[in-house]
Amino acid sequence: MTADSTSGGGRETGGPETLPAPVQPEEQPGRLNRIRLGLARFAPFLGAAQGYIGLVLVIAVGIITKGQYFWNQTNLSNAVTAFASRGILAVGVTLVILTAGIDLSVGSVLGIGSMTAAMLLVHQNLSPWLIVPASALVGAFFGLCNGLGTTVLRIQSFVMTLAMLSVVRGIDRQMSGNVAVGTALLDQNGHPTPRAEQFSLLGTPGRTLFQGTWLPLFGRAGIGYPVLAFVVVCIVFQLVLTKTRFGRHIYAVGGNPTAARLSGVNVTLVIVAVFTLSGLLAGFAGPIDAAYSASADPLAGTGYELDAIAAAVIGGASLAGGKGTITGTFVGALILTLLDNVLGLNSVSANLQLIIKGLIVVVAVVLQRPGFFRSIADPLVRLLRRPHPSGS
Amino acid sequence: MHAVRRYLIAAVALATAAAFGSGCASNAPSSSSLGGQFVVGYSQSNNAEPYRAQLNLQLQYYAKQHSDLKLLPITDAHQDSATQVSQVQNFIQQKVNALIVSPNEPAPLTAAVQQACAAKIPVIILDRSVNTDCYSAFIGGDNYGIGKLAGQAAVQALPHGGNVVELQGILSDQPQIDRDKGFRDAIAGRNITIIDAQEAKWLKANANTIMQQWIAKGDKIDLVYSQNDDMALGAQLAIAGAGKAGQIQIVGIDGLAIPTGGIRAVQQGLMLTTFVYPTCAPQAVDTLEKLLHNQSVDKKQILGTTQVTKDNAAQLYRQYDMSGKVG
Repeated sequence: MTADSTSGGGRETGGPETLPAPVQPEEQPGRLNRIRLGLARFAPFLGAAQGYIGLVLVIAVGIITKGQYFWNQTNLSNAVTAFASRGILAVGVTLVILTAGIDLSVGSVLGIGSMTAAMLLVHQNLSPWLIVPASALVGAFFGLCNGLGTTVLRIQSFVMTLAMLSVVRGIDRQMSGNVAVGTALLDQNGHPTPRAEQFSLLGTPGRTLFQGTWLPLFGRAGIGYPVLAFVVVCIVFQLVLTKTRFGRHIYAVGGNPTAARLSGVNVTLVIVAVFTLSGLLAGFAGPIDAAYSASADPLAGTGYELDAIAAAVIGGASLAGGKGTITGTFVGALILTLLDNVLGLNSVSANLQLIIKGLIVVVAVVLQRPGFFRSIADPLVRLLRRPHPSGS
Repeated sequence: MHAVRRYLIAAVALATAAAFGSGCASNAPSSSSLGGQFVVGYSQSNNAEPYRAQLNLQLQYYAKQHSDLKLLPITDAHQDSATQVSQVQNFIQQKVNALIVSPNEPAPLTAAVQQACAAKIPVIILDRSVNTDCYSAFIGGDNYGIGKLAGQAAVQALPHGGNVVELQGILSDQPQIDRDKGFRDAIAGRNITIIDAQEAKWLKANANTIMQQWIAKGDKIDLVYSQNDDMALGAQLAIAGAGKAGQIQIVGIDGLAIPTGGIRAVQQGLMLTTFVYPTCAPQAVDTLEKLLHNQSVDKKQILGTTQVTKDNAAQLYRQYDMSGKVG
């Protein structure tokens, strides 16, 4: 059993642990073993549940230190809004990571998405209904370039997207002339124009869709477009990964590209599609970022790729590919954003925040290991069992 | 696949050759005062900051007013000192008649400025200093003084004292340190408390998030002191989002005459006041002219500031606006 649990720390947590468990109670009946049996049965879920432990911890710290100032809808909604655009990037990055690739260009693509959005608003006076798809398409184009670069030109994705990070940022800065484009347009009377008003809704945490409705969580402070967009993106792509053939192909390509190819998966197509989707999502997140700060900065999104990758990794994605979920990434993003919020509410200095955030990534990854809790729990159980061999 | 690759290699080779060719071509004519024109190189530390973008525009504008000045394309060091050193050295190689440098950091650029000095090229340093005396003129603003004025504006706005929060630039930046110190010195003993200060790295989005957190904490906040206007406007978004517009005053610094800048914001009533941090461009061009015509110049020029209020905002905007003036 112990030998099993250490060796069973690989990909299939469920298999080796659930099988021997039923044999156990016959040898040593007792409460301890019933708990153990329960644990063993839950082991496969625990792998996913470990991510939630961090989330619960962060929330607990928030509530203990700041109470209602932390745990109220306005604050939580603000906190998630601040991270929503990076959260959406994280979903795209997760897709790429699942195929054992990496996308470093998402921050720059978000930047060009936000610049596109602001320029379309200011110069063309388009409605958000057109601006958002247009920005997403711009992003998708650069994603497609990444995909073609990694497959057709056979450049490693790290290198290809690193180059794209630079190229896209250059284009962004060139087209903006290094000047931020403000989106808070005013008419002659000094009131915001209707289009600018609509656009600002894309990034505002407070005002929104469900405000004043009966919905218990959404009704009071309102859930803004950024949070909604983030959640919907997560749900859609989690469903794509689990319920569609394309989703299974993504895991297959990441797990073992050769095997995937031999079993008839078009590996090139999957990789190109995944990069394009990552770019699409980054472009889609652009307008949110622009609306959030009421302007598109030529430097917007710098460094966001690292937050996005951190969210995916904390959520359990493995850079080796084939392992990870969007729900995990969602939880990872929540951990990062709430951590940021809790630290901010407690006036922790910026330097200390950097240290803490870095350590959290390491701790989270260690906790995510399937065998981690068993390796601590098993010796403890054995220790407890020794004085009372009968188990009562 | 291989064919594609071969074409690519050929294309890259061609492009490199073209780049070298054009590089040499542009080197040749700028070797020294051509056709009675003085060739001037300007090394900018980072084009992507609004203040520096505005400085570039103004410098191009004022240089164009003088027919005997030929400003080479402005180089951008992307906030990297090593890049800037090599760009300055390139200008020295091209034997420009004069050099303007906005150093990214004092220490790394010192050697490059000394090289220019050794090559008998007059150097004008803008905004941030270098650790040598071997330059012709230094022109800059007074961050400490502006911080102090901002503090006095806060004292004026809160005659009975109150709670202030401070949005800071990157903590290691000298302007951050000076603007912080000036403000704190000015409010000392005036019953004003800085209840929170946090690094927002000069950025609007960060300031928005931090301000939301401060409001969420429920402390009474009377005034926001932001070390630049971008962060001030980020805080303004958070304040407006929380429905507290008008209850919390905002004081900024920079006062750029761009649509997203502080002068417009004061004019629109989004901020209480801001202070123009001088771009130094007109003074730089003046000094340049004097240097090139062998006239004497002040070696150290510390420029004053102008407080932007609702009354003078429109006029200041017209004065400093560069849109449409540079082709």
